[in-house]
Amino acid sequence: MASSNTLTQQQKPERSLSPWQIARKKFLHNKLAMISTVFIFIVTALSFAAPFLAPFLSPIPDVSRVNIGSMNIPPNGEHILGTDKSGRDVLTRLFYGGRISLLVGFSATLMVITLGTLVGSIAGFFGGLVDNILMRFTDFVLNFPFLVFVIVLNTILRDTIDGVSVLILVIGVLSWGGVARLVRSKVLAEKENEYVLAALSIGCSPFKVIRKHLLPNVMSTIIVQATLIFASMIVVESALSYLGFGVPQSVPSWGNMLSSANEPDVLQGKPWIWMPPALILTLTILSINFIGEGLKDALNPKSLR
Amino acid sequence: MLKYTIRRLLGMIPMLILISIVVFSLAKLMPGDSLSGEIDPNNTDPQYIAEMREKLGYNEPLPVQYFNWITGFVQGDFGKSTKYKRPAFDVIMEKVPNTLFLGVMSLIITYILAFMMGMYSGRKPYTLGDNAIAGINYIMLAIPSFVAAVFAIYFFAFNLNWFPFGGSVDILVETGSAEYYLSRLHHVLLPALVLGAMSTASYTQFLRNDIIENSRKDFVRTARAKGTPMKKIYNIHILRNSIIPLVTFLGFDFAALIGGAIITETIFTYPGIGMLFLDSVTTRDYPTLMALTMLLSFLTLAGNLIADLLYGVVDPRIRLE
Repeated sequence: MASSNTLTQQQKPERSLSPWQIARKKFLHNKLAMISTVFIFIVTALSFAAPFLAPFLSPIPDVSRVNIGSMNIPPNGEHILGTDKSGRDVLTRLFYGGRISLLVGFSATLMVITLGTLVGSIAGFFGGLVDNILMRFTDFVLNFPFLVFVIVLNTILRDTIDGVSVLILVIGVLSWGGVARLVRSKVLAEKENEYVLAALSIGCSPFKVIRKHLLPNVMSTIIVQATLIFASMIVVESALSYLGFGVPQSVPSWGNMLSSANEPDVLQGKPWIWMPPALILTLTILSINFIGEGLKDALNPKSLR
Repeated sequence: MLKYTIRRLLGMIPMLILISIVVFSLAKLMPGDSLSGEIDPNNTDPQYIAEMREKLGYNEPLPVQYFNWITGFVQGDFGKSTKYKRPAFDVIMEKVPNTLFLGVMSLIITYILAFMMGMYSGRKPYTLGDNAIAGINYIMLAIPSFVAAVFAIYFFAFNLNWFPFGGSVDILVETGSAEYYLSRLHHVLLPALVLGAMSTASYTQFLRNDIIENSRKDFVRTARAKGTPMKKIYNIHILRNSIIPLVTFLGFDFAALIGGAIITETIFTYPGIGMLFLDSVTTRDYPTLMALTMLLSFLTLAGNLIADLLYGVVDPRIRLE
């Protein structure tokens, strides 16, 4: 009985790790990337749980209203991070703010990646005239001064639709150029392989080849790029909100919270109002960058770690 | 090279036309008279508006309007600023020197810092100093420029009192005196440092990696075998090779400075075209806004062109494409 058991075990060859499993193993061994992942996970969880956490965090959980009785209180036992100039609890707003900042960052990234991948893969796969037209268009979009046009477009559109969606839309439409170029160059290299020729010769439609064969092979590049774009989109959102051209002032976001530092009096004398969002924003960006580096390492089959 | 330059310059023309069409369409989408600024926004008399519209040619077909606007624009007629009641061209040109000064200073600081840090790191990789520099660079890359600006003002201007926290010059000093220029320099240093922080970090890392890579090449071994001092090898033989790819970054920097200037100038209340741009949005000074949008787009395009041309200088293969 025992011998037959070992026999079946021997017959089953040990499966080698798939590329994704190797990547996961490498990533799990990268300390910096793992710490960053945990940090981002905690920030996200706290931000999205903000409405439920708010009653436990401060005596005034409502951050949408001005509380005249409790303005500019320095950090104490009741308000762990103090209150701002409108009497709103800084810690509670920090969590609510994270929700908007992360949401805008994520949606804009999703849009940028989708548009960029679509344009890049079509241009790269079909080549010729299609490629020429699409890439000239990409050059055209890339030649706009990004911040200038975001602000101008946002000014024109912000009264028509609600502020947050306009911001996501405007940022997304203006920043897919880099991804398109990158995906195109990867697809160009990848489509020379025989398996693409084989797929085409058995009658696969071009879009099926792109979807089933080419995209999975350029996915690792796209994932790494998406991480880095996510970080830069959070920066764009908060910078615009800081300047007063991002999400409406009534919606708490890290950038909006930071804009109180525009007043010299707050900047100099009440650092508890602007420092928490500044620190958490920087730490978030730093963590996302570390995750991106970790992913780049993990997904690169040539890296040694 | 000349052929390549001419080809790139000609390639810019359709881009310029397309951008001008986009700016024109945006201006048309803006409320009121955002191109000429001749219609008084406070006068709501319908007859007055109708008369002015007729006089300014706003009842003509759009292509004709576009043509009239663009011919005026290339001759320096940017419309009239509704806020300052003066030609937008004059308003903008007043601020250009400040922004240029800020940009140049920022580039100088970037290059000095990046060369110092990059050469040290490249020469002594994986040492404590290199790791410290890498750590600083990581933070400089991650910290958004406006957060860096806020921290810089808090620490260097308010707590340490090393730098003024805003403006471009001390209002008490006499224009043209030596003190005046020193004061201007003093005012520009902190914003320039913040503006250049991100490119400093990427230059440093690039230079470091390039120096390490070059130091393993055969020409270094030959030089060492011949008895050239290490200092000379690093400062002359290797550096000369590592500078070349850095040159191509200059054009991209140009474009990045434009976006950066908007944020940095506003936070430091430094009166340049970046701050004027945001001011014109908040005060609804649309003619100035549109003229600036056009101008900044041109500058970005010029920056990209410079980057391309420098690329052609450095890497002759590009020219043949």
